[in-house]
Amino acid sequence: MNQTSNVQRPTGINREQALNAEVSADGAASNIKYRRSNILWRIVDFGVAGIFIYAGALKMLDPVQFAHDVKNFQILPWPISVALAFYLPWLEILCGVGLVFRLFYRGALCILSALIVVFTLATAAAKLRGLDITCGCFGHASQHWSFPAHLATNLGILAALLALWFSHRLARYVGEALPGTP
Amino acid sequence: MKLSLTRQALVLVALSLLPAVGEAIYFRGKISWQSPIPPSELVSVDQARTWGENVIWVDARPDAEFARDHVPGALSLNEDRWNELLPEFVASWSPGKKVVVYCSAESCDLAREAAERLRKEAQIPDVFVLEGGWEAWLKKNR
Repeated sequence: MNQTSNVQRPTGINREQALNAEVSADGAASNIKYRRSNILWRIVDFGVAGIFIYAGALKMLDPVQFAHDVKNFQILPWPISVALAFYLPWLEILCGVGLVFRLFYRGALCILSALIVVFTLATAAAKLRGLDITCGCFGHASQHWSFPAHLATNLGILAALLALWFSHRLARYVGEALPGTP
Repeated sequence: MKLSLTRQALVLVALSLLPAVGEAIYFRGKISWQSPIPPSELVSVDQARTWGENVIWVDARPDAEFARDHVPGALSLNEDRWNELLPEFVASWSPGKKVVVYCSAESCDLAREAAERLRKEAQIPDVFVLEGGWEAWLKKNR
């Protein structure tokens, strides 16, 4: 009987051990959940980084064509279009690399979000002015994209960037709250 | 890196400048900072006229604009019907002839694109873009 009651009603030390085991089981489960979601966000990181590195590399290889693509928006004078044609592809590539290796991560997310907003606004402005233009975002691959396709792609990338931004903030918060998480 | 957001962004912005400057130096002979078309590929209306019969005028504007008016004797060769119109152009071209391509105005890009395609795809040398396009031609011929 005593043994049974000992099992059903643990002593002070046993109760503490059971509580610790329960807490550590909860912690382990949270850790697993956290790591799983972390892997998912890393996949999104790689996806977004891949898009920008690919787009940047295409434009970097043909800056002359990209300068003409920028000029076709009829927003900037030619010398600035040329300067951007040399500069923007490298900015995209470095920010993409930043996402992959988590170097200057928040800075890269911020710059890429700003870039995609500017690209979207410029494309929308061109459409409103009736300009039939090639955005040049993905070199010749995007030459015949329709305006809705451009818009959908840009908004999809922006949504992914914003999701990464919030997941990063959440990860920092969870990292402080959960022991053993990075 | 435990840098603030602004500092991280500034580091990336500054780092991107280095390869961009290198690339600008590498491509310095292939692109002009003054004009979208290198001066060696541009020709003025007056200069093109001095070539007389040794020139083929190519109108890169859409069909409707070509039908409305065009340089006398010009051939239409626009992006929409490129494959259809190219054989006619090739038939009238002979080695040694200069080609002058034009579109509506200085700001249009159709002439430059057509000229580039003629050089790259059709392997035609001596292809020039008319400075000021159709507008410049009209000004000189009014």
